[in-house]
Amino acid sequence: MSILVLKRAAIAALLVIAASVLTFALVAAAPGNVAALIAERMAGPNASAELIARIAADLGLNDPLPVRYLRWLGDAVRGDFGISLRSGKPLSVEFAERVPVTALLLFGGGLIAFALSLGLGIAGAISNGGPVDNVLRTISLVGASTPNFFVAAVLVITFAVTLNWLPSFGGSGPLSWILPWATSSVLPASILSRVVRVNLQDAMSRPYATTGFAKGLTRSGVILQEALPTIAVPFLTTFGAQFALMMVASMVVETVFALRGIGAFFIEVIRFRDFISMQAILLLFVVFFVVTNLVVDIVCMLIDPRIRKAAGA
Amino acid sequence: MSTASGPIYEVGDLVIDLYAGNVSVRAVDGVSFAIHPGETVAIVGESGSGKTVMTLGPLGLLPEGVTVDIRGRAQSGGQDLLTLGPRRLSELRGRSFGVVFQDPISALNPMKRVGPQLAAQARRLTGATGREARQAALDLLKRTGIPDPDDRYFRYPHEMSGGMLQRVMIALALAGKPKVLIADEPTTALDATVQAQILELIRQLQREDGIAVLLITHDIGVVSRVADRVIVLYAGRIAEEGPAFEVLTAPIHPYTIGLLDSVPDLRKSIGEPRQGIPGVPPDQSMLVPGCRFAERCPKVEPRCRTHRPPLDQVRGRAVVQRVACPPQLRALREMADA
Repeated sequence: MSILVLKRAAIAALLVIAASVLTFALVAAAPGNVAALIAERMAGPNASAELIARIAADLGLNDPLPVRYLRWLGDAVRGDFGISLRSGKPLSVEFAERVPVTALLLFGGGLIAFALSLGLGIAGAISNGGPVDNVLRTISLVGASTPNFFVAAVLVITFAVTLNWLPSFGGSGPLSWILPWATSSVLPASILSRVVRVNLQDAMSRPYATTGFAKGLTRSGVILQEALPTIAVPFLTTFGAQFALMMVASMVVETVFALRGIGAFFIEVIRFRDFISMQAILLLFVVFFVVTNLVVDIVCMLIDPRIRKAAGA
Repeated sequence: MSTASGPIYEVGDLVIDLYAGNVSVRAVDGVSFAIHPGETVAIVGESGSGKTVMTLGPLGLLPEGVTVDIRGRAQSGGQDLLTLGPRRLSELRGRSFGVVFQDPISALNPMKRVGPQLAAQARRLTGATGREARQAALDLLKRTGIPDPDDRYFRYPHEMSGGMLQRVMIALALAGKPKVLIADEPTTALDATVQAQILELIRQLQREDGIAVLLITHDIGVVSRVADRVIVLYAGRIAEEGPAFEVLTAPIHPYTIGLLDSVPDLRKSIGEPRQGIPGVPPDQSMLVPGCRFAERCPKVEPRCRTHRPPLDQVRGRAVVQRVACPPQLRALREMADA
């Protein structure tokens, strides 16, 4: 068991390293010269070639790529991501301020998506072709195919502008979190509720569901006690993927609701061509994706006895 | 058999139509039978003869996605199962009727440890509490002949063999102390050596508890080993019914004769061609007026194709044997008169 966890963790670490190489290479290959950019910001459009050369030398930009990569990675591991060209602050300081905002957005939205999708998926399975099932199917279809900026706009117009119940942007107390959470959970909740519904339906056609009926359970009893435990792995796997994608969606959600998180920052630094920040944020994204999947894999291993067995535990 | 106490389960004029899309099939076409406490009744027939539908249908145990229309009576303990709502019916399952399915590997929930599942069932059905329920589960494992129950208690289905799992399945069916045990092909998915053990186990438990066993099978060998009575089903209708010994040794219905004839007999020389029954079972989506076996029957008469044969008692035998074949019954009478 623990050997398997270590194995998975080692693979995850390799993934992070591979992705960090890729990230570094992409940013290095992107058009634009960091030294020139900095010089331009220091001395205006007519910065001298000398200044550019000095900055490049200072930053070690003349060293071979592998050396630069290792230096960058070594610093990053120690928590030094460099200084943001956009804000002039160390990125470690930016992250310390912004990661908690994004984390709160993701965990709130993720929790809502988790609970809502289970509840709606189960309700649909219990209704089984009835009106509840059909309404939920339609809602989830709409929810899964509506872009999040549009969802945000609809929610803001409805609850902030028209009804004036909730603030239209974040960062102003607990109530201000409701609309960002709702926006970021619509897509994952829609997709996940379908995953729950469809997998429950499949489980209900299995012989063990019939055994559940034979044991004397009612249909709802069979859904909750027999079918639900067996869908844990597909549900959690999809949840992990959707949760990771919420990080991507945070770029839009944070920008729309003026939340000072990582996602909004990423959009900002792209606009500013702040390569140093982009590199650091991409690395953060990669680590987040890999860790999320690692956690899901380990949880699935813990709850499904068959995976445990396949793992030779 | 103690028939004096009256049947524990009685089915009358049962008709079951199955609908899938716009196709409808009359899977069970006017079947009546009764089973008494302590009795083992085998329901024999080939695949598609309706034996599973006829037994599991009234209990509401047919798979989801198939629309079922059931008419007739299915009485147990003064109640008609066919008139009960889903909740009342679910209360009878597990308590009055225990069910053992064909393939225990897929019929047991892969996410559930066997012991705790049995304990939960004991808690739900007998009102046992924590420690009692655990003890009840261990007792069930012991009774069904599972070695080292304390160790097996925390096992998952995938960690046990098919034979052991079928014992767990039987334990699960018995947890609610049912009066009728329905076993749907309980040995078909098992190794030959294990089959005998499972049959012996069912027989032994039946002797101990005096429960009635309704055994669905296509295996004549199984029938001869455990059944008191046999119901031979063909295309949703009873062809012949009677004590196992009489039906197996002196079958009357041409289908029963053909069925028994097609069973390989190891004592006969190898290579001797098997008889078998020519033709295939009828398409049950078409309702025919006459005998469903007519197309394949060596004794067919014109009247067979137009009139449904009644299930009549055989006269002149000491036991109750019923056969749905007027030509054969007439031949028997003529032989007796001569």
